[in-house]
Amino acid sequence: MGNREPYQNRIELLQGTLDMLILRTLQWGPQHGHGIGVAIRATSQNVLQVEHGSLYPALHRLRKEGWIEAEWKISENNQRARYYRLTAKGKKRLAAEESRWDRMVEAIGRVMRPAEN
Amino acid sequence: MNFWRWFARRSREDREIEEEMQFHLAEEARLREGRGEPTEASRRSALQAFGNYALAKEVTKEMWGWSWLERAVEDLRFAARMLRKSPAFTALAVTALALGIGATTSMFSVVRSILLRPLQFPNPDRLVMIWELPPRSSHRNVVQTGNFLDWRKRNHSFENVAAMFQIPFNLEGSSEPVQIPALRVTAGFFEILGTSPLLGRSIRTEDDVADTPWVVVLSYGLWQRRFGGRRDVIGRKIAGPGNAFEVIGVMPPGFYVPSLARADLYLPLRIRPDEALHDGRNYKVIARLRPRVSLSAAQSDMEAIAAQTAQERPDMNAKWSATVVPLMEQTVGDTRTTLLVLLGTVTFVLLIACANVSNLLLIRAHARRREIAVRVALGAGRWRLLHQLITESLLLACIGGFLGSMLAWWGVPAMIHMLPEGFPLPRLVEIGVDRGVLAFTMALSLGCGIVFGAFPALQLSRGRVNDALQQGGRHGSASGRYLRDALVVAEFSLAMLLVIGAGLMLRSFALLNAVDPGFRPDRLLTFRMVLVPSGWKTFDELLTQRAALIEQMLARIRTLPQVTSASSISFLPLSGSQSGTAYYRTDRPAPPLGAMPGGDTSVVSDGYFRTMGIPLVAGREFEERDRSGSPQVAILNQTAARRNFPGENPVGKRMHVDWTGPPEVEIVGVAKDVRHNGLENSPDPCLFLPQAQRPAGWASLLVRTADDPAGVVAAVKQQIHVVAPHQGIEEVQTMERVMSDSLARPRLDATIFAIFGGIALLLASVGIFAVISYSVEQRTREMGIRIALGAVPGAILRQVLREGLALCAVGVAIGLGAAFLLTRYLTTLLFAIRPTDTLVYTVVSLVLAASALAGCYFPARHATRVDPAIVLREE
Repeated sequence: MGNREPYQNRIELLQGTLDMLILRTLQWGPQHGHGIGVAIRATSQNVLQVEHGSLYPALHRLRKEGWIEAEWKISENNQRARYYRLTAKGKKRLAAEESRWDRMVEAIGRVMRPAEN
Repeated sequence: MNFWRWFARRSREDREIEEEMQFHLAEEARLREGRGEPTEASRRSALQAFGNYALAKEVTKEMWGWSWLERAVEDLRFAARMLRKSPAFTALAVTALALGIGATTSMFSVVRSILLRPLQFPNPDRLVMIWELPPRSSHRNVVQTGNFLDWRKRNHSFENVAAMFQIPFNLEGSSEPVQIPALRVTAGFFEILGTSPLLGRSIRTEDDVADTPWVVVLSYGLWQRRFGGRRDVIGRKIAGPGNAFEVIGVMPPGFYVPSLARADLYLPLRIRPDEALHDGRNYKVIARLRPRVSLSAAQSDMEAIAAQTAQERPDMNAKWSATVVPLMEQTVGDTRTTLLVLLGTVTFVLLIACANVSNLLLIRAHARRREIAVRVALGAGRWRLLHQLITESLLLACIGGFLGSMLAWWGVPAMIHMLPEGFPLPRLVEIGVDRGVLAFTMALSLGCGIVFGAFPALQLSRGRVNDALQQGGRHGSASGRYLRDALVVAEFSLAMLLVIGAGLMLRSFALLNAVDPGFRPDRLLTFRMVLVPSGWKTFDELLTQRAALIEQMLARIRTLPQVTSASSISFLPLSGSQSGTAYYRTDRPAPPLGAMPGGDTSVVSDGYFRTMGIPLVAGREFEERDRSGSPQVAILNQTAARRNFPGENPVGKRMHVDWTGPPEVEIVGVAKDVRHNGLENSPDPCLFLPQAQRPAGWASLLVRTADDPAGVVAAVKQQIHVVAPHQGIEEVQTMERVMSDSLARPRLDATIFAIFGGIALLLASVGIFAVISYSVEQRTREMGIRIALGAVPGAILRQVLREGLALCAVGVAIGLGAAFLLTRYLTTLLFAIRPTDTLVYTVVSLVLAASALAGCYFPARHATRVDPAIVLREE
């Protein structure tokens, strides 16, 4: 147990990345929380293990920012589920995040592999 | 936004988040089941993959403005649940707080009503009383009639000056005549106070002139009682001594003159200017300062006038001066000291209560360390926990505060109700619990809540979760222990201080109660009255009538079978009244003017000393032969004899007396001293004059009976009314009652101190009980092992008791030090003992040690009954 970091801080740590992943996943169409989690795991070939619970604070934060919208629908398994959909504002945000991400990957790449440049 | 709409949306959102997450878990479980996991296991692993479900939900909800209000409501519900779960703790804490806050609120109510609230008149700070100052004395003396007239005429400082004279009014009419308290006032009295009558008018200048029809203003109370509150009472005549008195007005309820006893009606004073110069000093004087005239300016003005009158009439005024006292100060008087001491005392009671609750909370927080640690480990925010702990203590404080204010609400009026009528507490009728006090109580409760909520909360935030989890919350940390011990020590030192205060007051009261008054108060009845002779024309006729009335009444009363002797005196000992004058021996040169020889003067009938049971040390007492026309005689008390005739026998010597009648008297006897002016005061010199030779208008008949005096009252009254059918009686009391009433004030002070001391002692005992219980519980394992190793129960008992007594001893030592420093503020309240009375200090130390022992005994006995088998198995 020890003096570990409080849970909330860890979400903050992942915040930017997780937000981006969620927005990216929703680009393919509306999806519910569980579906988003499954999609992230699947597309990353199970490398990115998101603790399922942490999805929801992120989803609701994005919703509050107005980047995604929520709507109750009936799922494939005939259950009521909340589906999230990207808004126009969200699309813009995703574009911005993507270019920021690219710059960051490039920059980190330069730092980590200086010889290859 | 509308709160309810917001709230409805919030709770819908909460439900939806819950549903959404449940859907997630179901979906994930289905997914895992599809991969071949068994149903049960798939559910579990879905939950595992989800992480901390509760926290995720909480954090998600907070995205939607999880407001402080909701959090507070949540915390409050949690706190209420926690308090319900441990009723013993809650009951102790709430009781301690209710007692502390109740006592403080009551005391604050009284202090506020008496000391802080302005008098209920327009511009009350302009109201003053003016007194004469005797030569070389700061005694506020009543005022000579001629001087009053001069003050009124010559001053430049006052809008108006009025004289007042308290004298019972003989109310006659259909039923048995009675004497009710009345106030005779000069015109201007009502204007000075600034209160208009409820009905009719007040006394005007034209009413205040001799030989005009008599008028009277009723108090609201008398109007209600005697006249049923009828509005047509104005213009009606009421029967009084020798006259009919026209009712001209009714005062509003609650009208009274602060610092004076209650009056039922108001009459014009009607000073006769021709007699004014020869009058004695009788009047109290009230005045209203002109706007923008300061008190000191008025004081110098009055001193200048007094210097003039002293020069103009040196026989009356040589070396006398005058003093101006704000009415508020006059009213509050020396009660201020008592009240402030009591307020300090009650603050200590509150501190003890807070220390107690704080300690209980600390112990509880400690016992809950494991629970709290688990919650922290599960992700509960530290701030949130602090919030919860403080909420819990605030809730406790509010409950305690509520009960405490209820206690005060009912307690203060109940206490006032228990006081005897005419109790000498200023502004008694104004005392009550008001909104200001309620606000004070609430602030006090919240302050307490924050103060003692903070202690355990701070300790918690320092405490390490890990330790708590590993130790299972069984072993107290050293720092927590010091804090708890310090609180108990503080409780004991404060309790020590308070109980010493109570002990001093009680011992002082016991001594006062045991003082020999100088007479035998048992089986002695008193009938207090102002004589109402009728049909007299000259002053001499009035005097003859007075003498005859008393003589005839006593003659008849003495024939009653149950009566062993009867007599009279002008003012009863211990009743708070006395008259005095100048007297000095005639065989020496007369003392210079303003030297004030003399002292108290009492007018008594024959057989007075025998009836009162006062022994004569020389000569004889007044007898049948000491009549008007026979040689003028007087009796001295021992103090007066010693002062005027040191080393001589005064019997047969002659003295000069300034009193109605011939100035020269022969001393015929010396009587033992009586404490006329209060049991706490050593006897003053007193000269006794015979009623038959110098008839006084005020008289208390004294009747000594063979057995129970109550059975004689009706028969005595009947005899009085045979002699004087219209004679009302002001008060019938046994002498024991008169004595007891004279001690009402010190008794009340002692009672309040005893109550506060008792509460303090109780709280401190509970405090030490809680701490020792806790300490024993913490060391159950140690005790078990020691018993297993063969320790005898006696040794364990002694060890626990020693621990408790050590705390108590430190507290007592500090308390003793504090008492040495602080009890000197009690000096003015104490009789015959010093504030460092060894007996009281010793007894109180023992009492505290005993209560600490009692507090420790039960937990200690519990320790000896630890079953080693159980303890060792637990580990």
